[in-house]
Amino acid sequence: MPLPCLLVDHPRYQEHDTGSQHPENPSRVEAIRQRLRSGPLKDRLLVRESAPASRAQCLAVHDESYLFRLEESCLMGLTAIDHPDNQIGYDSFEVALLAAGGGIAAIDLLERGEPGAAFSLNRPPGHHAESDRALGFCLLNNVAIAARHWQSAHGRRRILILDWDAHHGNGIQNIFLNDPEVFYISIHEHPTFSFPGTGFAEENGAKAGQGLTLNIPLPPGAGDREALEALECLVAPALAAFKPQALLVAAGFDGHADDDMSGLLYSTGLYGRLGIMTKRWGQACEGRVVSILEGGYHLESLAASVEAYLLGLSDD
Amino acid sequence: MYVTNYMKRSPVTARPDDTIAEVKTLMANHHFRHLPVVGENGRLLGMVTDRDVRSAYPSSVLDERHGKDELLKVGQTAICEIMSYEVVFLPAFATLDDALVLLDRHKIGALPVVDGRHQVIGIFSIRDLIRAYTILFGLGERGSALVGVKDDGRPRPLTRIVQALEEHDIHFSRLVRNKSGLSGGGAPAISIRVNTMNLRAVHQALEEVGFVIDPMRPEKL
Ligand SMILES: [Zn+2]
Repeated sequence: MPLPCLLVDHPRYQEHDTGSQHPENPSRVEAIRQRLRSGPLKDRLLVRESAPASRAQCLAVHDESYLFRLEESCLMGLTAIDHPDNQIGYDSFEVALLAAGGGIAAIDLLERGEPGAAFSLNRPPGHHAESDRALGFCLLNNVAIAARHWQSAHGRRRILILDWDAHHGNGIQNIFLNDPEVFYISIHEHPTFSFPGTGFAEENGAKAGQGLTLNIPLPPGAGDREALEALECLVAPALAAFKPQALLVAAGFDGHADDDMSGLLYSTGLYGRLGIMTKRWGQACEGRVVSILEGGYHLESLAASVEAYLLGLSDD
Repeated sequence: MYVTNYMKRSPVTARPDDTIAEVKTLMANHHFRHLPVVGENGRLLGMVTDRDVRSAYPSSVLDERHGKDELLKVGQTAICEIMSYEVVFLPAFATLDDALVLLDRHKIGALPVVDGRHQVIGIFSIRDLIRAYTILFGLGERGSALVGVKDDGRPRPLTRIVQALEEHDIHFSRLVRNKSGLSGGGAPAISIRVNTMNLRAVHQALEEVGFVIDPMRPEKL
């Protein structure tokens, strides 16, 4: 029997207004919804609604002054925060809270005993957001907030975050840089070429978190072969040695060959392979796996890749 | 742009009649490998390096007793006997490019920087040069990406790029025209370090003015 697909979504994700020309726009989640509803996953789809992350849940990751600044910027009618990349509208703060709540809701569902492949279909993405500022289309660090919730609400202290978005998740890395309980692994396009310019292989954590950051940069033009080699030879042994109690996936799909936001050339099939691998890795922590949407800007390939990933994650 | 922004100011200097032993201690205490040697008026006479000092001492194969005497004698020698008088220096208005050319041409690790009266005001090392270019090129800063375009051979490519980027309010910190291409043996190309994640907007702005994006892929191993 295949697992159900626990899809955490919210209709208000459409209301984060980034203007008419922005690659991170409402059509992204809409394209994924339509694909999942009409394709091979339609019969195993369980859609649940996200709820806004609480102040305390956000404060576990972000500075209070930044949260005020973000909320104010939206309510004052500013169109961007910290950089023109980070477009905002009047509703963006509330939508960002819902996006941060997506991972939390998925975790609570799993912990309540609902079996399934859990995926938070949220926007805006989060992995570039730092504790004190927005960056790279990201306002709140959804994955980091979810990790802190998993630790504090359910006592799963040892968490592994796997990030295969085409870009390095500087925000996640910095938030957990010194943390001895959270292992951050990222496969991304090499920082010399790719935004944000961090994630060199020699960045491997600090202080008590030394060795608990693993960066695997790939050159422009790298594809499935290079990614699979990294996953099998570097990620799998690191994961087995760390023995996490829960696995969070920063699932970005902008490494797809059709996606113009990176120079990586992944196929749709690679995301299927990632789903199968992630399912296998999750078995070592009793299926406690939650995937949270990051990037992915080519609508058709984004939708197809999410579907392939979820098929791999939920198939038996 | 200027070496004075990155040099070490008011450096430790030596006098020509300082002994080798004194200079050796001075270098060890301050972790310096290059000391400008100045005259009474503070004007530059030459340089003494840790290598000059080391090679003044006898080789360690000498027998111990002989070695000790020799050591003492060398230590009391004035540095004017071992320093280099070929005075290569940078004027206060020298640029980083000037420093690079001189450091490379003379194969030395550091250069004294002098004012109009040839008084030493600083010292500029290869390390300072690396730090300066790292800052100048915006390397290691969060929030940038590298974009390459093929040099189409049409006139004024850099002007067209800058205009296109500025019209779209896309900020950048570096624009380099590379005659030998961006990957091995390629055709001429231009690379731009842009301060945005929105590469789609960058590509569109450049394609609108006729450029072809260079994917900058390394040669397959
Ligand atoms: Zn991304």
